[in-house]
Amino acid sequence: MLADFGHAMTLALLPEAMLAGTAAVSVAVALLRPGHRPDIHRWIACIGLVASLAACGLILLGLRGERSGVAITVWNGGFVMDSFALFIAILACIVGLLTCLISDAPVRAIPTRTGAYYPLVLVTTAAVEAIGAQREMVTFVVALTLMLVCLVAIGALVKTDPRGGVSSFEHLIEAGAGLTAVLYGVALLYGVTGTSTLGSVASTLKNAPGVVAIGVALIVLGLCASLGIFPLRRWVGRVATSVPASTAGFIVTMSMIGGAAALARVAVSGLGSGVGPWKWLVSIIAALALGHAALSALRETSVARLIGHLVSAQAAMLLLGLLAFALGSGGFPAYGITAFLGALAVSAVATVAAFGVLAMLQAAGIGDAIVGLRGLSHRSAPAALLLSIAIATLAGVPPLAGFLSRVLLVTSAADAGYGWLAIVAAVATGLTVIAAAQFIALIYREAGDEVPFTLGATPVASRIVAGAACFLGVALAVLIQPLLAVATAGAGPLR
Amino acid sequence: MNVILSTIVWAPAFFALVVMFLPERDEEQRSRVRTVALAGAGLSFFVNTFFAIMGQIGLGQGGGLSSAYQESRTWFWNFFFQAHYDLAADGMTLTLLVVTTVVFGCAIFHSWKIRERVRLYVILVLLLETAVNGVLCSADFVLFAVFWGMLLVPMYLLIRVWGGAGARRAAAWFMGFQAVAFVLIIATIAIILIEAGTRSSDMATDLQSFSRTAETVGFWLSFAGFAIAMAIFPVHTWMLEVQAKASAGVATILSGTMLMLGAYGMMRISLVVFPVPAHYYSFAITGLAVVGACWGSFGMLRQDDLRRFIAYLNVAQMSLVLLAIGTQTSVALVGAILLLAAHGLASAMLTLISGGIEERTRTGSIRALGGLVAQAPRLAGFWLFAALSVIGIPALAGFTADFMVFAGSFPVHRIATVLVMGTVIVSTAGLLWVAHRVFFGPVRDQFARVRDVTLLDLTVLIPLVAAVLLFGIRAGAVVPIIANGVLEITTRIAGG
Repeated sequence: MLADFGHAMTLALLPEAMLAGTAAVSVAVALLRPGHRPDIHRWIACIGLVASLAACGLILLGLRGERSGVAITVWNGGFVMDSFALFIAILACIVGLLTCLISDAPVRAIPTRTGAYYPLVLVTTAAVEAIGAQREMVTFVVALTLMLVCLVAIGALVKTDPRGGVSSFEHLIEAGAGLTAVLYGVALLYGVTGTSTLGSVASTLKNAPGVVAIGVALIVLGLCASLGIFPLRRWVGRVATSVPASTAGFIVTMSMIGGAAALARVAVSGLGSGVGPWKWLVSIIAALALGHAALSALRETSVARLIGHLVSAQAAMLLLGLLAFALGSGGFPAYGITAFLGALAVSAVATVAAFGVLAMLQAAGIGDAIVGLRGLSHRSAPAALLLSIAIATLAGVPPLAGFLSRVLLVTSAADAGYGWLAIVAAVATGLTVIAAAQFIALIYREAGDEVPFTLGATPVASRIVAGAACFLGVALAVLIQPLLAVATAGAGPLR
Repeated sequence: MNVILSTIVWAPAFFALVVMFLPERDEEQRSRVRTVALAGAGLSFFVNTFFAIMGQIGLGQGGGLSSAYQESRTWFWNFFFQAHYDLAADGMTLTLLVVTTVVFGCAIFHSWKIRERVRLYVILVLLLETAVNGVLCSADFVLFAVFWGMLLVPMYLLIRVWGGAGARRAAAWFMGFQAVAFVLIIATIAIILIEAGTRSSDMATDLQSFSRTAETVGFWLSFAGFAIAMAIFPVHTWMLEVQAKASAGVATILSGTMLMLGAYGMMRISLVVFPVPAHYYSFAITGLAVVGACWGSFGMLRQDDLRRFIAYLNVAQMSLVLLAIGTQTSVALVGAILLLAAHGLASAMLTLISGGIEERTRTGSIRALGGLVAQAPRLAGFWLFAALSVIGIPALAGFTADFMVFAGSFPVHRIATVLVMGTVIVSTAGLLWVAHRVFFGPVRDQFARVRDVTLLDLTVLIPLVAAVLLFGIRAGAVVPIIANGVLEITTRIAGG
């Protein structure tokens, strides 16, 4: 660890600083040369994201030999660049990079706003990175607020019809409600503990268990909005249907990563085993959210909302990993956080892939109704194949990576003593697999008068990136070990 | 590096990938698609039979997976258990692999009768073959679950997209029941991984540290899951729907291979991993077998539809396998594996022939059919051949199987065995009665121009006939091979 505070501070904030810096450059270019080559902002954003990845690599170098998994700690441990924070930062950068590469078509529709769109993408990514690194209430609330405001703004920015504006407003209301709950919860915990450090909550539990329980409940419920799970998940469907697909993918994925990282930091790093209420509350929310999302997926009529339900189900599955953060049977670790991080990475890639394919269909003029996709395989075989793989990965259809990640989450939860929740999760996975099978059967059936189309309306680079993201869902099933190795390293500081 | 089993498992999937890039605009291109698919299924079949005959897939001393031919690589280890890409083949596996590769080969031959979406059809059939062969060869619990799960969507699509009227409902029934079965299997595997304390999902690991409760729960979860997959009474209704409404080729795969997987899983996991409760509840299992045999055989007599008739026959035959599983003697279990093979082949033949009859007469109603032997004598001959194999005529595969099941079961559960033997008489009567109704009697005018088997039909049916004869005539050579695999089960049950 670095002893000098100035150097430590600089290095700890370097990934975020890279993103903020390039965002500032992009804004400056937009202000100084308005309307000049809108595409340049995309490449500036890509450079910023790659630079942030490089900064993460630099911190990784400093992590070598650190058995604790902590590279840099600043602000009295309130902001820490450990292997968990790096995992989240790298994942966020990859999602940001994929989004920049596949969001060509929707951004073309708003050439005058690209100077705002890409900087917002960068600031959102920086906010998610900060959420992953925080271990203190103020940083946590600020980063979460920044992320949610940026995501709502992105949704509002790319709107091409009034529905987009309405959905962004509704997203703002729901995210705001969640944020308010988190803020009240944090305020209550601060009132009880007298410190903004989450780690000290456990030691003061005996002083005011009721207040702590209410505070924890408010935080957990508030973070449901970010995760996009029941009871605050209506925005996911609205954003999915009203915002251009590639942008919707970014909003949903980043919100999920940020919410999951925040919950992991608050619940595992902060509260841990000492504060009991969060575990039973999270287990109940997970069960309800899984059931709600899986049943909703079964009777969905819109493909975008179907993807939204599947993402919600996957986000709820992540909670199983969080619950299994401690020891399992026989006194051995349950590896819940490893499963959590592995599944988070798979979910993020699968979500971006699914929305990326949807974006290609939107660019080709194909509607959103599931019935309208009947016989899709006859109109465009590549589109049908990619959409099938993306949906199957998200739904957890064997043998794809989505299924394996669910197996890891379910077994770790069962190992940690949440057998009933593991059964609920397995049943919910069965339901999402049925929903996916119904959908895939529909796109491979004949409608009778199909008009062929191509994906030519989508730029080649976007097609390649979206297709590669789809096939990553297949490849990760075979190459799960490297992902698990990285996830295990990332989980180290949280165990 | 040994890749024999990997070739058997993955060759169909590899060829499915090749087929994906082939065009299918005209008949010539569609033929090419089918030929490439046939090469995939054929490669799997030839590698299996050739290397089994050559002794490359050796059967070790002591029997079971732990001493069988294996391919092993660690899949992932950064978790609370290790999972392995472990493929192994003991005597049970090798015997059933012969059946699955033959049936899938026939299903691909049958695709020459498919006119629409041929490429997708053969891709799904090939993926299904990879999944079925993978389940049979898996020597790791997680890998077993992955291959098992891989069955669901291709089979659902095959039923839904190529089925006739009512296919949607049949596919929904299939998916509903199989999803429940899959969840139960996953739950069983989770119990094994957590409770066994070995921190490994290797099937060959000695799992003896279960608590009494975990063992009992695990046994019943696995039993229920595999019972659904086997379509035994009372969880057989999905199979009736699928058998009746799926296309003939898909119903053939179902009858010929998928039901056997349930029985295989029950023997490989329910009996081997949970031997104590399996032995303790053997009376209940046997009772279920008796009820199922009665239900299936008497149900056959009430059917008017040829396919539903075969579906009830499946229920009756799977109940015989369940009787052997309940009895748990080595003779009965060897008989059960042989019966799975024999019934898989015969049932596949009956399904294909009933599909042929429906294609020629535009009806599957037993009451509406009659006198077909005059126009289609060879078709009638094939039906009778398959029926005689099911009945258990000497020199055909069913004879040795039935004999061993009953001979092995009688000393343990005498009354149950006698009752089940009684139902076999009813099944026999049913098979002969249907043969009489469909093929004999006065010639019906509307069927006067029905044609006999074509070259394509012969191509599909002859491999099945050859396999039935092989298993019947060379039973003496096959039985010791199966016994090598069964040895592990009986050793575990005996507390070894």
